[in-house]
Formats: sequence, C-alpha cells, structure tokens
Amino acid sequence: MTPSLLIQSLCNRTALLALSIVLAGGCSRVDHKQSALDPKGLIAQNQYDVFMLAVWITIFLFCAVGGCLLYVLWKYRAKSDEEAKEIPPQSHGNSKVEASLIIASSIILVILAIPTLQGVVLMNKVPDPNDEETLKKLKLDRSQIDGAITINVTGKRYFWVFEYPQYGIVTANELVFPVSKAVRINLRSEDVIHSFWVPKLAGKMDVMPGHENFMWFIANQEKLLTRIDKDGVPYTEGVEQAMPSVHDGKMRTAVFKKQNFTDEFEPVGGLFYGQCAEYCGNSHAYMSFRALAQTDGDFDSWVGRMQDAQNPNLQPGPYDPQKDYQSGAVVLFADESLGDNVLREYRTPDGADRGEAPNLSGVWEKAHSDNYEKGKILFATHQCGQCHAVNRTGIGAKGPNLTLFGLRTSLAAGWMRNDEENLAKWLRDSESVKMGNLMWNGEGVTDDHPLRKLKDDDEKVNLLVDYLLEQK
Amino acid sequence: MSDAHALEHHEPVTCTGVPNKKILMWAFLGSDCMFFGTLISTHLIYRKISGTVGGNALDIRDIFDIELTSFSTFILLASSLFMALAVSAIHKGNLKSTRWMLFGTIIFGAIFLACQVYEFTHFVHAPGNELTLSTYRGEPHVFGSTFYVLTGTHGTHVAIGVFWLLGWLVYSFTGRMSPADAMDIECCGLYWHFVDIVWIIIFPVIYLMEYAM
Amino acid sequence: MATESVKYVAPESEVKIKNKVFPRPGQHTSGIVDWLTTIDHKKIGLMYGMAALFFLIVGGIEALLIRTQLWSHNMDVLTNREYNQMFTMHGTTMVFLVIMPLSAAFFNFLMPLQIGARDVAFPRMNTLSLWCFIAGGIILNLSWFFVGGAPAIGWFGYAPLTDNRYAEVLNDMGPDFWIFSLQILGVASLLASFNFITTIINMRAPGMTMMRLPLFTWMTLFVSFLLILALPAIAIALAELMFDRTYGTNFFDYLEGGKPHLWQHLFWIFGHPEVYILILPAMGIVSEVIPVFSRKPLFGYGLIVFSGGIIGFMGFAVWSHHMFTTGMGIVATSAFSILTMLIAIPTGVKIFNWIGTMWGGRIRFETPMLFSLGFITMFMIGGFTGIMHSSVPIDAQHQDTYFVVAHFHYVLIGGALFGLFAGFYFWLPKMTGNMMSEKLGKLVFTLMFIGFNTTFFPMHYLGMIGQPRRTHSYNEGHGFETWNQIATVGSFLLGVGVLIGVLQFFHSFRSKKLKPAGKNPWDARTLEWTLSSPVKEYNFARTPIIKSRDQAWENNYGSRENHSEKEPLDDHGVHMPDRSWTPLITATGLFIFVLGMLFRVTIEFSNLYLITPYEIALCGIGVFVLGVIMWATEGPGGYHLFPNEEEE
Repeated sequence: MTPSLLIQSLCNRTALLALSIVLAGGCSRVDHKQSALDPKGLIAQNQYDVFMLAVWITIFLFCAVGGCLLYVLWKYRAKSDEEAKEIPPQSHGNSKVEASLIIASSIILVILAIPTLQGVVLMNKVPDPNDEETLKKLKLDRSQIDGAITINVTGKRYFWVFEYPQYGIVTANELVFPVSKAVRINLRSEDVIHSFWVPKLAGKMDVMPGHENFMWFIANQEKLLTRIDKDGVPYTEGVEQAMPSVHDGKMRTAVFKKQNFTDEFEPVGGLFYGQCAEYCGNSHAYMSFRALAQTDGDFDSWVGRMQDAQNPNLQPGPYDPQKDYQSGAVVLFADESLGDNVLREYRTPDGADRGEAPNLSGVWEKAHSDNYEKGKILFATHQCGQCHAVNRTGIGAKGPNLTLFGLRTSLAAGWMRNDEENLAKWLRDSESVKMGNLMWNGEGVTDDHPLRKLKDDDEKVNLLVDYLLEQK
Repeated sequence: MSDAHALEHHEPVTCTGVPNKKILMWAFLGSDCMFFGTLISTHLIYRKISGTVGGNALDIRDIFDIELTSFSTFILLASSLFMALAVSAIHKGNLKSTRWMLFGTIIFGAIFLACQVYEFTHFVHAPGNELTLSTYRGEPHVFGSTFYVLTGTHGTHVAIGVFWLLGWLVYSFTGRMSPADAMDIECCGLYWHFVDIVWIIIFPVIYLMEYAM
Repeated sequence: MATESVKYVAPESEVKIKNKVFPRPGQHTSGIVDWLTTIDHKKIGLMYGMAALFFLIVGGIEALLIRTQLWSHNMDVLTNREYNQMFTMHGTTMVFLVIMPLSAAFFNFLMPLQIGARDVAFPRMNTLSLWCFIAGGIILNLSWFFVGGAPAIGWFGYAPLTDNRYAEVLNDMGPDFWIFSLQILGVASLLASFNFITTIINMRAPGMTMMRLPLFTWMTLFVSFLLILALPAIAIALAELMFDRTYGTNFFDYLEGGKPHLWQHLFWIFGHPEVYILILPAMGIVSEVIPVFSRKPLFGYGLIVFSGGIIGFMGFAVWSHHMFTTGMGIVATSAFSILTMLIAIPTGVKIFNWIGTMWGGRIRFETPMLFSLGFITMFMIGGFTGIMHSSVPIDAQHQDTYFVVAHFHYVLIGGALFGLFAGFYFWLPKMTGNMMSEKLGKLVFTLMFIGFNTTFFPMHYLGMIGQPRRTHSYNEGHGFETWNQIATVGSFLLGVGVLIGVLQFFHSFRSKKLKPAGKNPWDARTLEWTLSSPVKEYNFARTPIIKSRDQAWENNYGSRENHSEKEPLDDHGVHMPDRSWTPLITATGLFIFVLGMLFRVTIEFSNLYLITPYEIALCGIGVFVLGVIMWATEGPGGYHLFPNEEEE
C-alpha cells in the first residue's frame, strides 16, 4: 500500500502544479471590467472567498481522484495481448472502502456548507447596526450601516432606472453611490425578468416583475485606492485620481481619457461595470449599466446638483419685471433670433436691476449656446419629452431620465461612450445599434414619428446632440 | 406444426404475477397523480390572490352552488360503487350483471359531466358575477384560470372514462365481451376509482377551502 | 432460412373487428413499409438513434453558428434575434431531440436483450412513442418557417417573456411551436417510460432477479420513473402557458394576478430531474463498459444501483438551486443549497466505484473504454463546478454566466454525450454485426476530447471575468476576445469529431468490408452478448434461465452451476406479433391536431366557411381516435417461428 500511496501523492502534487499553472496563466489578468475575480466590495469579497475555498477543495479532490484514476490506469493496463486475456480476481466490492469514502466526502461538503450559509445571510441582510460583534467581524463601522442609502432599481427592456427615494431624485443607467456607505437596492421590473449584477461589488439578484427583490453592497475604499502598476507592483493612489468626481464632469473626462473603447482596458477607480444577467429579449446583451463610486463629499455634491436640477421650484420661469433676481439665477425671456415666441434661458448678471429685462442691456448672459436652445425646441417638438424626463424626476416615464445627461460616461445603457459621435449615431438609427429598443419600437412610435425621420437630418441631430450633452 | 388451430394465443406469465396491463395502468396513474398534483398546487399557490378582486377582499365561493356540487360529488362517488360491482361481476363471469353495472357507472358519470357543463355555463353567464378564464366580474383574475383548467382537466378524465366504458358496453351487446376480459375491465376500474379519488381532493380544495387572506 | 414459420390464426374470440383498410402487414414485409410499421424494439431503437443523430447534427450547426458569432466583439454573423433563436433551438434540440432520444435508443435496443425478453411489454405503444418523438422534432423545426421564426425565449421559456404582451414580433408563433413540440415529445417519453417500467418489472427471464439486472437496465428503470414523475410538471406548465397565450388565462401574467415565479418552479421541478434523466443513462452505459474492458465485475454493484436511485429521488428535492438568484429568501435558499450539496455524495460514490472496478483489472484502451474514461474525468469536472454552484454565494456570481455554460456542457457533452458515444462504439457491433475501425474511433475520441476541452474549459474563466450567457454580442475592452476565439476553434474541432463519429456509425450498417463482430467481440459480460450480432428478430430462440449477474461472462469463464440454461421450446414456437399501421396513424392524428391548434385558420369562400378555426384540430382528434379504435380492435395477429437452437 505504501508505494501506491507515494505514487498517488506524487501524482497529486504534479497535477496540482499543472492546475496552478493553468489557473495562473489563465487568470494573469483578473481585473477585467466585469471580473468577479477582482472583488472591490464586502459582498463580492465574501463570494470570492467562498469561491476560492471551493476551487481549492475541488482541485484537491480532482487531483486525489484523478491521480488515483491515472495510477489505476497505469498500474493495471494490459501490457500485452496475452495479459488482456487474463482473468483477474473477480472481486465485487469492499464495503469498508466505500463507507469511508462516503464519510470523507460528507466531511468535505461540511467544510463548504458553513461559509455558504454564512454567505447567504450576509447577502440577504444588511447587518444590524447594533450588533457590534458582527460589524467587527465584517470590519464595518456603525456609521456605514446607519448612513446606508437606498436605491430603487427598475429594470426595463433594455435600460435601468435608478431612483433615490431619500433624496427625491431619479437617474438612469449610471448609478452613483457613496463609497463608504452601505447601499440597499430594491429591485423591480416593469416588463420581463432581468437580473442586476455588478460583479465587483456583489453577485446578482433577479429583477422580477410583480415581486420586489432586495440586495445590498458596500464598496471597500481601501481596495479602490490600491492600484497595480504595469510591473504588477501595488501602490496607493490619492482619492482625487482614484475616484474622480461625477458632479463636475471629472469622471467623464477621466473615463474618456483612459478608456478609449478600442484600447486595452485600463481601469478607472470608482467605475464599476454592471450587466443584466437574465435573458430578457432581443437586445439583452446591450442591457448593461455602470455604478460610480464617490467619496462622501462628491456624492453629496452630485445629489445636490441632481436635486436642484429636478426641483420643480428651481426651474427657470419667465422673466418678471416686478421681481428681484439674484446673480446667477436663470430666467426665460423671448429671443426673436430663435423664432417667434421662443423663450431663451438667460443668466442674471451681477447688479441687474429690477425691471431691467434681458434684452434691454448687454449684461445678461445667455445661459446656453444657440444650438442648445434650438435643440431644446426640437426635443419638445419631436415628442422626446413624452418619454424622457429632463430636469424633473418623471417617475413612471417610459424612457431613461436625461437629467444632467452631459455628465454621463456612457450611452445606450452602458454600451457606448457618451460622446458626440455615438450620440448622433444613436439618434439617427437606434434600431441598428440596439435592436428592439423602446425608443425605436415603443408604443406609438411608428414610421410617422419624427424620431424615425432623423436618419438623414444632420442639422437636427447635431442640435439635439448639443442640447443633450450640454446638460451638465 | 402446421396445424394453425393448435397455436392459441396465450398470455405470457409475468415475473410478478401481475398482468402487464395492470402495471401499465398503475404507472400511468402514478404519473397522473403528478399531473393533478401540479394543477392543484397551482390552484393552492393562487389561493390568496383568488380571494381578492381589484384589491378588495371577497369570498369567491359566493359563486358556487354548493348543493349542486355536493350532489354531483355524491353521484361520482356512487358511480365508483357501480364500477366496483362491475369488476366483481365480470370476475364471477356474470356478463349480464356486468353490463348493468357498467351502464350504471356510465349514467352516473354522465350526470356528473352534465352537472359540470351546467356549472361552467352558469358561471360564465352568471349576471354580475361572471367568471371567465381570465376575468371575474369583468376584472382580470386568476381564479377563473385555475378553476376551469383544474376542473376541466378532471372533467376530461371523466369523459374519457365514460367513452372507454361505453366501448365495453357496446362490446357486451355485440358479444365481444367475455370473462377473459376481466383484466381489461379491472384496469378500467382502476382508472375510474382514481378519477374519483382525485375529485375527493379537488372538491374540498376548490369548493370548501377558505380563500380569504 | 432454416427457421420454420407458421402464420398465426387468431381464434374467433380474439378478433374484435376486421380491419380491411390498414391490415397488419405480415411476416415478410420489407422496405419502407417495414420501417413505418415495425414494432420490433430493435428497429425502433435504431430509428430513435438515427433521428437523434440527425438532430445532433442540426443542433451542432446551431452551436457552431453561435460560436462563430462570438468569435470577437460586436460581430454580426447573426442578428441579435437570430442569435437568440439559435441558442433557444440549440438548447431545446440538444436536450429533447438528441440526448433524451439517444438514451431512448439504447433503452429500446438493449433493455429487452439484457433482461432476456423477446420484446417490450407493449410493442405498438413503443412504435407510437417513436412517431410522437419524430412528430415533435418536426414541429419544433417547422417553427423556422412561420411568423416570427423559431422561438427566441430560451430553452427554459421563462415567463413573462413568453407572454404575447412581450413578443418582439407581432403574432410571434415561435413559442407556440415550442410549447406544442415539447408537449408531444413529452407524450413520446411518457409512453416509452410506461413501457420500460412494465417490461423491466414484469418481463425478466426466469432467474433474472432485480439484483441481477445489468446496471444499464437499472438506470433505464430509474430514468423511466423520473420521466413519468417529472414530465407532468412541465406538461401542465406548458398547458397553462398555452392557455395564457391562446385563451387569455392569467397563470403567468403578473399584471393580472399571475406569478412568473410559478413558471420557474414548475419548469425546474421537471428540469432538475431532467438533468438526471440525461445523465443516468450515460452512467449506466459507462457502468457496463468499464467492467468489460477491465475484465472485472462492477465494484460495489449494490451501492451503484442504490446511489442511482438516491440521485433520482433527490433530483426532485433540489430544483430550486436553479433559482438561487430569484429572491426566494434565506431559508429556502439555504435548504436547497444543502440538499444540492448532499446529492454530490451518491454521485461521488459512482466515480469511486468505477475506479474500484478498474483496480486490479486488465485494462484495455479500446474506443468505448476511452470514451468512458473521458466521461469520468469530464463528468468529474462538471460535478465539481456543480458543487461550487450549490453554494449560494458562488452561484450569485456564476448564475447566468459562461461559467454555468461550461459547467453543464461538461455534464452534458463531457458526461452524457461521451457516455452515449461509448455506448455506440460498444454496442453498434451488436446492432449491425460489423466491427468498427478502432483507428477511426480513437481519432474521433481524440478530436472530441481535445475539441471539447478547448471549447468549454476557457468558458469557466470567461464566466469568472464576467461574460454573461445568452448575449449575442459583447463590447470591447472586457478581455473576452482571446478566450472566445480559442473556444470557437475548439468547437469546430469538436464538430468535426462528432461528424466523423456519426458518419462512422451510419457507415457501419452498410459496409461489407468491416470485420464481422461475432457474438461477443469484447468478451463482455451481460446477457445481450450471448446473442448473435445482429440480433435476430425474436432475440432469444429459447428463453434463457439466468443463474448469475454477468451471465455472458459466467457462461464463458464461470463454474458449471452458474451457466445459463434454456427453457424448452414449447410447441407454440416463438409468437411474433405482426407489424401495425395503427401507431403511425395515431401519431399522425396527434400531428394534425397540433398543426390545427397552431394554425387556427379560417378559410372562407363566398361567405361560406370552408374551414373554421378548430376544424383541422378536430380532424386530428378524429384521426387519433380512429387510430386508437383500430389499435384496440385489430387483435394480436402475428405468426409463430420455430428457430433452430443455433440461430440465436
């Protein structure tokens, strides 16, 4: 028995080595955009740990059983035709061996079962902030749970709506969240089943129609700041570079600079890629999204900007000569150059007097370019506003909310870079980009719809592009 | 060897001593249990939803005519008695009695079916209380779906049984039925009893159970 | 022909009604009529096999199109809808039209031979099962030619994607074809299973006790039980879906009170036993092949049988592990997770026992053995990744990614298909009487083994770095390209291997140049190897009296008292039932019925309705009922054979 055991263990080691090489070779680059092997949050880390435990268990089992198999095949191979005709002893089994193998495999399963059950609880429940023991074990601070934010996610074919009930704001396709806080996600669907999945932050949870699901995640700031340079040496980056802010467009700039879509992937800190993981129809593949981690300050600034933009009381009203306007306030006032009865947005200058209408002096500043104003008119006349909410929450709107659209890094539910060229392409013929999308195929969109006539109208498309990208 | 008349067809002896057809019938009934099990589970899963219309709780059992259904349930159970007597009679070789008992089973089965047809038409047209496949009182509802499909499947089973028994009744008149067919009649009986037993489960699950939350 | 034969004339009492239109074809029928009306389990098995191999090629082409589309980012070999149709059809075809019928082919051909029976219990029902299967295959693939094309709902058809409300093509008929085809395939499987259960329980030769049954027959029995208990769940689910789509019921329509969850539960209550329905036959085959090529009896026969039973039984208790991410709550999720882990134990037992069988043997590496060894290793990998998925936190990342695709292809190709190929290489000589080229067989194995692993091993990694399943395209910058290209190359290699294998199988029927197989070319162990190759239509000239588990082996090498004996030939001879048209007519009735239900057409001619919506369906029912009545009344018919002792 001893020599056979020896050979067996030798086989094991060789196999283990071989497998490690395969694994190491294959996984040389694990920080791909949607890699579950590069966890950046508590839940994903837990899932990764259980996975690696399972990997090692199964590699061990594979080597043990496979080594045993190889040994048997080698040792008992028929070396010649004569030997192939021999009749070996006709043994029918050995109940002791069988029983001990059954017991051994049960023990191995218990090793996997315990972290599994712990993981199930962790995934489904945000820890109780009063349960200090658990918090300590998870290395969480009480404030991270107490200050948790809630996001209601609605899946639609083929985009995502993100509603922040605490702040009364709605955005789409790019979820902005604070890095240090737990994020509770309530999942709802308005059509078929989708699945919400940000591999680096948490596993997935299905978005079921008629049944609200829950998941949560929390990003790990240290992990976000730790980067690996080209030589594979880890270093810590400053918060500014690692997590560019969204509210002032730095994130967009950083993403555009680093991630030309044709380049090899180069990570931008705080940018997470997500994807619908349940088959939901023609363009299921294109139903992705992004999650952007922010420092607390940046997140608050972003929320502030969104709240201002979507606050119905803060929308610019028609100019009223009886009112005092503070510097920077925006008013609407007729501008003949854009057309009859068209109102343009003006920004109140320093020291504007009451009753001094924008057209009366040169000091009033046009809030936006002419193209923006023309695009805005087109947006209204081409029925875009029927589905898209701009500068309002528009809960229940058919299309993605476009408030502060110019700050978004991506277009068409995370599929394309949000730049002039792609936006123009999308507006011209979204069906060719994303077959089956609601903008092209939604209820009431027929060949007579102005949207479907944009195809060859460069001028209109450019105006709309200017209008949309200036939303920032 | 060439004397063809010497070569009588013989039922092969089976390992278990139970005829093949009977095992087949038992296997089929086992499978059929799962068919009804799935349908009944569907009905039970929607029990709570069935108790509301447009957000308002209501007792959907109001539409039932429990006297009629109890009567038809009694009729169906009674038909099982006739069926058992028919099987017993054919085993004893009493063809005349078998014929009468089969006749009784068929009549009672037919009465049950008639009650069901009456019930369905009545429900669909009940003024102010219409229950269709997709709606109740004009509102989208699941009760109609589970009710009609479950009881309809059961009714189809009864109808198939009635036609099967009718076939034997015809045979009994044309002289094609002999005591050698006892096994086939017994399989018929197994099927018939099974369909009855299923109704014993369906009846309380649909007609007696509480639907409210 | 030295065998004497005598026409059987039924006594007056047995003839119910004389059928003059479709009389039962007699003893010497040949050609196409023979194949259409045969009730011989061996011919039915062969037809099952040939049809399934044809569908294997069809499903394989669909797979290669999928792989080509995924060659690189943003490819447009297929549009997204075409791609979605491809993976739906690929999945449905491979599960229902390839692996299941291939297993059925072996069940049909081998099981009666292994238990010493002359046929199954209900030969005509067996034929009906075959024609229902073929009708189902035709209906599924007809969908390509009608409104909306093939279904694009995935082989799982999750509600509410199947609802008319969410159809992306107006009046999409694809899902309807899918529903009816699965229903009719279900009928085929149910009929076959009732038959096999009755046959195995009731028609074993004298002395063939249950614990002497060959392992493959045991697995046939378990799979048949699984089928009759699992298929009703999906049959009802499909019926409910059909009602939803056609008559507006609300079973799965969440806007009107239904629950999409219900579909998933019903589907997987069927779907998980289905996994074992697919893999147990292959396990049975491997359990036959390994002892033969190790020249040792199966190690722990009782335990293997028992673990097969446990796997089958537990298969009904783990369905929700397909739904870990649907939000079932902590308790249900944990319970199903633990149960799923438990099922690994009986599966592991089987692997231990196969290795135990080889231990101390004289192992020959012929093609069937190579495929069996391929089965063991790759099934092990598939099983291990399966254990990973039983852990909910891992599954939360893996669910619906390519990791899962890799996992179940390791189980269903590396497992089931390799097992079935082992079966072909092992038993085709028995079916055709010709040995196949070992060289070619080993080439096929090498191509398939390398191709398979090249295709599917990288998918583990692709899943881990985030490639989701069922997506027709992926974006640049994800790092998916290289591994997808490797997988695509591998898939073509696998395709070539399978194609050569299939051609070799068909070729082995025809060729006169191949070496004759003789009774027992592998020195195999079970009862079927005591018969001539190909097997005579009556199987056993005289019913054998079984004395031990590995009867063919014992007859050659065992002690005298273990040799099988034979029952005396009684003066009836062997009663052979006549061929019959009625199964084909009955199946045709079902086929017409389904077409009628699919095309509820109205044909009008100057205000006269020639055809109203349900008339075609009613015609189908008419033909069906006619077939059943003819069936019930045509009488046993048949003829008696008096085979010589040697002609077995």
